[in-house]
Parts: sequence; structure tokens; C-alpha cells
Amino acid sequence: MALRELSSLEKSLGLKKANKYSTQGDRKVPVLQNNNGLSLTGLATIATHLVREAKQPELLGVSAEQRAVVQQWLEYRVTKLDNCPKEEVKTVLKDLNQYLEDKVYLAGNNFTLADTLMYYGIHRIVVDLAVQEKEKYVNVSRWFDHVQHYPGVRHHLPPVVILRNRFYASAHH
Amino acid sequence: MKLFVTEGNPHCLKVLAAAELIGVKCDVSHVNHEERVVPHLSRPTLPALLLPCGLHLFTPNSICRYFFETSGHESSNLSNQWLEWEETELQPILAQALYMAVLQGKGAEAAQALRGPLSFLESSLGNRGCRFLTSDEEAVADIVLWAALYPFLSDPDFTAGALPQVRRWFQSVSLLDGCENAAYTVLKGEGLNALSGFLQKQPVPPSPRRDTKN
Repeated sequence: MALRELSSLEKSLGLKKANKYSTQGDRKVPVLQNNNGLSLTGLATIATHLVREAKQPELLGVSAEQRAVVQQWLEYRVTKLDNCPKEEVKTVLKDLNQYLEDKVYLAGNNFTLADTLMYYGIHRIVVDLAVQEKEKYVNVSRWFDHVQHYPGVRHHLPPVVILRNRFYASAHH
Repeated sequence: MKLFVTEGNPHCLKVLAAAELIGVKCDVSHVNHEERVVPHLSRPTLPALLLPCGLHLFTPNSICRYFFETSGHESSNLSNQWLEWEETELQPILAQALYMAVLQGKGAEAAQALRGPLSFLESSLGNRGCRFLTSDEEAVADIVLWAALYPFLSDPDFTAGALPQVRRWFQSVSLLDGCENAAYTVLKGEGLNALSGFLQKQPVPPSPRRDTKN
């Protein structure tokens, strides 16, 4: 799973040289091995490295504050979202919905790596939401829809139908 | 900028040590464990940092990253890798070990649980041959790991085998400006026992995974 994400991320960043990946342990933690003898372990660590390699540092945040916010959501992804027990899913959605109430993207007004990795990680949850739940977590749905339509991001994941008109209408109440 | 911390919470040790080391200017507010500081989170989450832009950082490691960033130190690949290891591999085992050692009085079992991550740390430090985790200068990962392991490694009764590299590294970080001071603020010189109030309020940690061979 993580390997498909990293391959999608490489494509969306326009990276040409394919890196070699393997996984480690029961949790299948990704490991990157490149020709220069570099070895890196961990999804967030590798994703951050790929963005730097693609020379798109704005995706990691444009200020010290924003960089910390981006890394915080990468951490949230690999700690909270990836091990989220079923009974915790609603809390995650509720908190994220509250957080996104006044934001377009996770780190504010511009798209960052945090959006890509949170989108990859939460896809399996959003894909199972009933229409009413998508309405209940309206800010999550709106953000999710933005990200899945962001150029070059979706790749390996099937699109999730979000009734856009209703959300945009309700967002302007 | 306002930093919210609470006594006896091991995660607060990370951010206080980083703040003291970097010399960050921010108001430190001591609140109780139950205080909900971050408006968008349903559960009380400490430490937290209210940024000048109005956003909150609500994980200790991102707060430490931010403090290092303000002094011009962006986290390197290697430092990021240690931070991710700490978050995903060490913390689940550490939560279990603290629970056993402090609330169940099973110090030996706690030491046993920590054997895997500590021997990984020992061999990584040995292979690299530097004073700190990533180089001869301290990085954000040093502060985070030092603080995470402090309750155990500063305890004279803690025995998890000979760990010469870990001991040497731990001592180097302890000598950095402000680190021991931060430890005193959080633990009040009472060691592991200072954490019991905090740990009683935490959910019982799930049993550790068995895949930590490393």
C-alpha cells in the first residue's frame, strides 16, 4: 500500500528516476534504497525526501510555522490514521472536520504534502462513508474532493463521488 | 506564542528541553491534564503550541521541529527518520513500558519490553560513530529521543543490559543547556513516580507488537 502511494507521489512530483523500494517488518514500513547508497525508512521521511529531490520545497511549507504544520499532519497520518481502531474513526473525522472548517487545505490556503498523504491515508475511510456521513463531515468531504481533483494527485486511487453542489451550497450558509 | 504544558507528562519534557536549548521566547502556561487547549480536538492534548498565525501545533515532535526551525535548523533526512521511528516504533512500546513500570510495579518487564528499541539505538549509534544521532552536533531527533527515554535512562534502578553507546549519547544530551532543567520541571526529581498521575488518565496501552526485531 505505502509503496503504491510513494510511486504515485513520485509521478505527481514529476520524478523520472525510479527509486528502489522494499518493506520491513509486519507493518510493512517502506524503505527507500537509491543508487547513491542512500537508505531511508518510513513513509513520512521518504515522502519529505522525494519532495526535496523534486525541488518543490513549497510543498513542505513556505514558512517555519507552515513546515511544522505539514510535518505534524504527516506524523498524524502515520501514527493516528494508520492504526486507527474502528471505534476511533468517528473521532478522527469529527476532529478533522472541525479543523478544516475555516481552511481550504491542511496547512492553510496552499496545497502541501500533508494534503497528499492525508488524502492517501483517509481514502479507505471516506470511500465507505454513506451519503449522510459525507454530509455530516462536510468540511472533510469538501477538502477530500479538492485534493482528489488536484492535478496529478489521485493516480492509484479510485475517485469517490462527492455531491459537490450541495456542499458548496451549504458552505455558504 | 504560547506553550501549554503540564507536570508529570513525559511528552512535555521534549518541548521544554527544546525550548530551553534553543532559547525560544514564548509564554509557558502550566495547565492541568484535563484542559482542552486545542479547540478542534475532542480530547485534551498536551503539550500544545499556539503559533503566531493562530494555528495550534498539537504533537510534541512538531513543536520541537518548529523550535529548531526558528533557529535555522531544518530537520535532515536522518533526523526525520529518527523522529518517525520514535513516533511509530518507540512510542507504542514506551507507553506499554511506562504503564508496567509505574502503575503495575513491573520494572523488570518494562526493561524487557524496551530491550528491542534500545539495542537498535545502541547498534545505530555504534555504526555511525558520532557524538549525537545524526552528526557531531545535536539535532531535533536527539532532544526528542532523549526526552522520550529520560524517565527510564535517568533511573538508577533501570537495567536493560550494557548499553555503552546509548549511555554515552544520553549523557552528551543531558549536558546540553537546559535539558536537565526541563527534566526537573516535568519530573520534580521524583523520576518515574512523577508520571503516575498522568498515566492513570491514559487509556490502557495495547500489548506491544511482536515484530520489533530490527
